[in-house]
Amino acid sequence: MRIAVTALGAALALLAVGACGSSSGGGSGSASSTLVVGEFNPFSGPDASFGPEMVGGCVPAVRLINASGGVLGHKLNCVQEDTRGDPADAVPAAQKMMATETSLIGVLGPSSDEALATAPLLSQGHVPMFVDTGQAAFDHTTDAYFWRITPADDVKGYALALWAHKAGYTRAAAVFGNDAGAQSDVPTLVRAFTRLGGTIVYNKPFALDQSSYRTEIENMLAAHPQVIFTEVDPQTGATFLSELQQLHGLIPVIGTEVTLQAPWLKAVTGAIGASAMARYFEGMQPYAPPSGPAWQAYNRSLLASGSQVPKPSQWSSDPYSMTYYDAVNVMALAMIAAKSTSPAVFNSDAMKVTEPGAGKTVVDTFAAGKAALQAGQQIQYVGAGGPIVFNRWHNSTGAFEAAKSVKGNLALVGSVSAAQIAAISR
Amino acid sequence: MSTLLPAIGFGLVTASILAVAGVGFTLQFGVTNILNLAYGDIMTAAAFVAYLVTSAGISVWLALAAGGAFGAVFSVLLNRALYTPFVRHGTRLFGMIIVTIAVSLIVQNSMLAIFGANFFSLNMPRPASVHIAGMVFTTIQLAIIGVAVVAMLLIHLLLRYTKLGKAMRATATDPDLARNCGIATDRVIDLAWAISGALCGLAGVILVMNLTAFTDTTGAQFLIPIIAVAVLGGIGQPYGAMLGALVIGIVSELAAAVISPDYKNVVAFVILVMVLLARPQGILSEIATRKEVAA
Repeated sequence: MRIAVTALGAALALLAVGACGSSSGGGSGSASSTLVVGEFNPFSGPDASFGPEMVGGCVPAVRLINASGGVLGHKLNCVQEDTRGDPADAVPAAQKMMATETSLIGVLGPSSDEALATAPLLSQGHVPMFVDTGQAAFDHTTDAYFWRITPADDVKGYALALWAHKAGYTRAAAVFGNDAGAQSDVPTLVRAFTRLGGTIVYNKPFALDQSSYRTEIENMLAAHPQVIFTEVDPQTGATFLSELQQLHGLIPVIGTEVTLQAPWLKAVTGAIGASAMARYFEGMQPYAPPSGPAWQAYNRSLLASGSQVPKPSQWSSDPYSMTYYDAVNVMALAMIAAKSTSPAVFNSDAMKVTEPGAGKTVVDTFAAGKAALQAGQQIQYVGAGGPIVFNRWHNSTGAFEAAKSVKGNLALVGSVSAAQIAAISR
Repeated sequence: MSTLLPAIGFGLVTASILAVAGVGFTLQFGVTNILNLAYGDIMTAAAFVAYLVTSAGISVWLALAAGGAFGAVFSVLLNRALYTPFVRHGTRLFGMIIVTIAVSLIVQNSMLAIFGANFFSLNMPRPASVHIAGMVFTTIQLAIIGVAVVAMLLIHLLLRYTKLGKAMRATATDPDLARNCGIATDRVIDLAWAISGALCGLAGVILVMNLTAFTDTTGAQFLIPIIAVAVLGGIGQPYGAMLGALVIGIVSELAAAVISPDYKNVVAFVILVMVLLARPQGILSEIATRKEVAA
C-alpha cells in the first residue's frame, strides 16, 4: 500500500513538473509563451475580500489586452497567489511564485497585511509591484519596482483638510482613534489644514469602545470647532456622535473612507438617525468616477468576464478594481514602449507611459496605447480610475470624492482633485 | 471648575452602569465562588434580546425587563447545566475560570453566527437633554441612573431585611456552616445566580442604551472595568462594588477632564492598584479575606 502511494506521489510530482514546464517559458523567453500577472493578495483569512476585488480588475484588463493581440506576441494571464493576509504565509507565497512563475512580469499587491515583509523580496526578484497597501512607510520609498496608484493612508489627511477649506471652515476638531491606522492620518491633516489658514483647535486620540465620551465632548466643544474630522471604529463613532447630538447638538462631521463603509454607516445612522446623517455627515474616499471612455471600456470587459469574475457588476464602481485594471494596462504598455517583456527592462517605462507631457497622445485603452506606440508616438495612459501621475517615489495620489449617506445610499457631493492634493502635499 | 461639575455628572452615568454590572458580578462570586468570565458576553446576549424586542416595536422599558429576565434564566441554566457539574467533579477555582472562558467564547461566537459581524442599535425614542446643577444629562441617562439606584436599593433591602438575603450572606461567608445551620444552600445559590443574572441582563441593556450601537464583543470589552469595580470594592462585597463603581466611574471622567482623555483608564486603574497595595482585600474586606482571592 505504501509503495502504491509513493508511486502515485511520484507520478503526480512528475506531472506537476511537466505542467510547470509547459506553462512557463521565461519572462522574456519564447515569443508564444503566456505572461503572468500575479494577484498577490489575501484570498482567505480576515481580509479575504481583498483578492476578489483584485480579480475584478485584472481579468477585464487581460481580456482586452489579449483581444487586442497581446503584448509583443504574448498573451497575458492572471494567476492568484493567496497571501492569507499574514506575512508568515505571504513570504513563502512570494518565494514560491517567483520560483515557479518564470513568465511573471509583475504583481498586483501586496496589501498592507504583507507589504512590509514581501515588498523587499519582490524588489530583489526584479518584480514590478502595483501595491494596494496604504502604509505611509512607502511614501518616500526608493524601491524602483514599487508603484502605488491607490492613495497612501496619510493622503486622506490632505483630502479632509482641502474639503473642509472648500466649505469655509477655519476651526476644526480632530477626533481620531488611538490606533496606528487612524493616527497616521493626523499629521498630514494638521499640516494641510494649518497651511490652508485653518486651526485644529482640538486634537486628542480617542480610546476606542469606551462606555462614554461625554467629557471628551465637553473639552472639544470648549474649543469651539466648526467641524469635526474623524476616523474611529463604528461603535466609538456611534457613541461619540449620539452623545454629542443629545448633549449639545451635532456640528458638521467629515470622515475618512472608513466612515463610508457599511458597518460605520449602519452603526452611526442607528445612533443619530438618518436625517442627521444626511444633514451633518460627509466622508471622503478615493475618487474613481464611473464614467468616461476608459471606465466604459473597463466596465464592458468586466461585465463580459462573468465566467472568471463572480458577480462582476459589484466591481463596476469599485475604485480599487479600477486601479488594478489600470495597473495591468500600464505594465502591458510599458512592455511595448520598452520593446521587452523583461521586468528589469520595462519597469521604468511605467512612468513614461503615464506621465503627462507636451505632444503626447492621450489614450484611454490598451488597444489605443498599443497602436500609438507602434506608430512611434509617446503616450499618456489615462485609466478607468483617472489620470495617473507618479511622483519620484512612484506614488500617485489620485483624487478624492466627498459623499454623504442619503436614505441608506451614498450620494456624491463633490471632489478634491489629484492636482490640489499634490500642491498641498509638497 | 467649569469642566469638573459636568465630568462628575458624566461619571455618575458610567458609575451607574458599572454598579449594576459590578454588584451582579460580585454577588454571584460571593455566593458561588465562581469567577464567571462569561459575564460580559451574557450582558451582550441580553442586549441582543432587548434589540429583538425593540425591533418588534415594543417599548425599550419592556425590552429592559426582557433583558433582565433573560439574564436571570440564562445564568441559572448555565449554572445548573454546566458549572455545577464541574464543581461536583471537584474542579477548583482556576479550572472553573477556564470553563467560564470557554463559555464566554461559545456565547460570543454563537452571537456572531446568529447576528453576524455588524453593529446594532436599540429602537428607542431620541432623548432630550436635561441640565441639573451644572451637569447635563439626557433623559435616557437619567433613566439609567434611576434604574441603578432602584436596583441598588432593592439589593440593599434584600440583603439586609429578608431571610433570603441573610441566607445569601451566610452562604457567602461559610457555605458549610450555613448548610449545617439548616439553610438550603443549593436553593440559595440558584437564587443568587438568578439575581446576579438579572443584574447582568439589566446592565447589558442599559450599557447599549447608553452606547447606542453595539456588536457581539461589546459586553466582553466592558468586563475589565466590571472586575476592577468588584476587586476595588472587595470581591464578593455588593456594597463594596457600589463604592468601587462610584470611584472608578467618577475618577475616570475627572481624569479625562483635568488631565487628558488618554489617561481616563490609566488614572482609574492606578487608583485601583494603589488601593489594593494599601488594602489587598479591597475597600470592604469581609469575604475577600476569607476566600483569599484578592491577595
